[in-house]
Amino acid sequence: MKCFSRYLPYIFRPPNTILSSSCHTEADIISTVEFNHTGELLATGDKGGRVVIFQREQESKNQVHRRGEYNVYSTFQSHEPEFDYLKSLEIEEKINKIRWLPQQNAAYFLLSTNDKTVKLWKVSERDKRPEGYNLKDEEGRLRDPATITTLRVPVLRPMDLMVEATPRRVFANAHTYHINSISVNSDYETYMSADDLRINLWNFEITNQSFNIVDIKPANMEELTEVITAAEFHPHHCNTFVYSSSKGTIRLCDMRASALCDRHTKFFEEPEDPSNRSFFSEIISSISDVKFSHSGRYIMTRDYLTVKVWDLNMESRPIETYQVHDYLRSKLCSLYENDCIFDKFECVWNGSDSVIMTGSYNNFFRMFDRNTKRDVTLEASRENSKPRAILKPRKVCVGGKRRKDEISVDSLDFSKKILHTAWHPSENIIAVAATNNLYIFQDKVN
Amino acid sequence: MEVQKEAQRIMTLSVWKMYHSRMQRGGLRLHRSLQLSLIMRSAREVYLSAKVEAHEEPGVPSQPACSLDPRLHPPREAQTRVEAALSDSEQLCPEPMDTQEAPRAEESPARCAPRPAKISRKRRSSSLANSGDAGLVPSKKARLEEEGAEEGESSEISNRLQPPPAQAEGAFPNLARVLQRRFSGLLNCSPAVPPTVPPPPACEAKPVCRRADSMLNVLVRAVVAF
Repeated sequence: MKCFSRYLPYIFRPPNTILSSSCHTEADIISTVEFNHTGELLATGDKGGRVVIFQREQESKNQVHRRGEYNVYSTFQSHEPEFDYLKSLEIEEKINKIRWLPQQNAAYFLLSTNDKTVKLWKVSERDKRPEGYNLKDEEGRLRDPATITTLRVPVLRPMDLMVEATPRRVFANAHTYHINSISVNSDYETYMSADDLRINLWNFEITNQSFNIVDIKPANMEELTEVITAAEFHPHHCNTFVYSSSKGTIRLCDMRASALCDRHTKFFEEPEDPSNRSFFSEIISSISDVKFSHSGRYIMTRDYLTVKVWDLNMESRPIETYQVHDYLRSKLCSLYENDCIFDKFECVWNGSDSVIMTGSYNNFFRMFDRNTKRDVTLEASRENSKPRAILKPRKVCVGGKRRKDEISVDSLDFSKKILHTAWHPSENIIAVAATNNLYIFQDKVN
Repeated sequence: MEVQKEAQRIMTLSVWKMYHSRMQRGGLRLHRSLQLSLIMRSAREVYLSAKVEAHEEPGVPSQPACSLDPRLHPPREAQTRVEAALSDSEQLCPEPMDTQEAPRAEESPARCAPRPAKISRKRRSSSLANSGDAGLVPSKKARLEEEGAEEGESSEISNRLQPPPAQAEGAFPNLARVLQRRFSGLLNCSPAVPPTVPPPPACEAKPVCRRADSMLNVLVRAVVAF
């Protein structure tokens, strides 16, 4: 049998350390992972409302084997639990999404959101401090003016590097339903936030106003048939965005057409395969994530069992469909009982749009090479991740005789799921969130 | 019959999930609620169509057009008929649960949704008690007796496709317990089957004697209440 790893474009090795919290609580579960535009920084959000930013080490000639590993750069509490007194509802502090802004100066900016509020954070470094004030002493206490006999110019002296995160904008009170997506526009002046029924357009400078650009709320809520599940701006065209629905459809909208983009410009839907129809057909067709390719020509969607690649120029059907874990199709009833059928998996492109990646259960994640049509299943686990060892491809046995290194479907651990992954924008470095653990895998160093 | 039982089980489970979702942090999730309602609707359609088929061929063991499982293919023609019948009955009875009396449950099989022929002034609890659904009605006496045996809510995610944890007490403790008992009993047997063969429907540990129509009525009422 051929070894898939030989045909993979990348062979990943685990890092020297696996980043995780020492004790696992509900709050430590990672809920979002995102590289910034250069890949220098990696941000994670968790259920406790915290954001942890990792920075890649500068490559050193002395330690070639530690090629650009990621270390903790900054940690801050982004969101706190809140209470909606009008509706008597608690608002979770869980970070649903993080999106980076392109770097325009020395500071870094990112958007983080929970169910109701989006915040713009500035992360900046301070490695110098002014010393030699005339009116204050070194501790900051005011000096007696009578004791001042000379005049001096304060100077900046080096200090220990301090990374501080400050909330620069808070965009609140614009969403009745739960925010599922945020996306920064390519104009770098606006961004959108999407909840179950509406999408709002914001300007970064204005926090007390937003434009509603999509509203699918029916006049009578009893007629509700679908909700918005994800939304994203086109990477290059600032007037174009897409949003996916719980019915498995994608709508592409052009903001130049009208102020309210209820009427789509393009409508992507694949006809349902009658042979696959079941009790749960409708809910497994719900799209959990939608991502534009870096080129802007394709969109990728993830539903419960598949990943699909669509060409923007063809609305009738996807150009590629990849089965992530089709062996679960016969287990949908059980997955409904344990709520796993409602899991929302994300999907990512690599930098060149040639490989796509998504997560699965048992801490497995899958990669699909669009050119060679090869796919591989890898596992993010401490036991299988010795430093500098190559990740071994895994295989799920769907029936018949199980081989020694295969795992049967019934043995899969459905509590270990990989919902969030990220791929470095230009290099073969991937970040995989497995519950409260963050695994960062890098391409094998020759 | 098996198809009906499975559909009933799915509906029960869906109602339980919808009830449980109200207590989670962050409030009711619109998307989740929509998905649950879609499942309930599908299960209801299959249940009603299976029931129609069973009534149309009395004496013949009801053979489901397809297995009630992940690879289920709901019979579309029967579904259309049932939907037409349902739409008629629903127009007459937007609240199908209000005043259902036991004898009315044996009306025309095409009227799958219960429809009161006349408005009864009887209390709902007594009518349901007559029909055998006393366990589903909140009862002060039962509550006091069983208060000590209540289980706490667990939020653990099952690892190996296990039944969901016990239901927390709420406005309808007996309903929750009955649903849980029924649900657990159905799921306790888990036969190992090859993936290529549709797994058989979960067996019942203890058959419960109750009118299927009344059970459906209660489930629909639970949905309306939520």
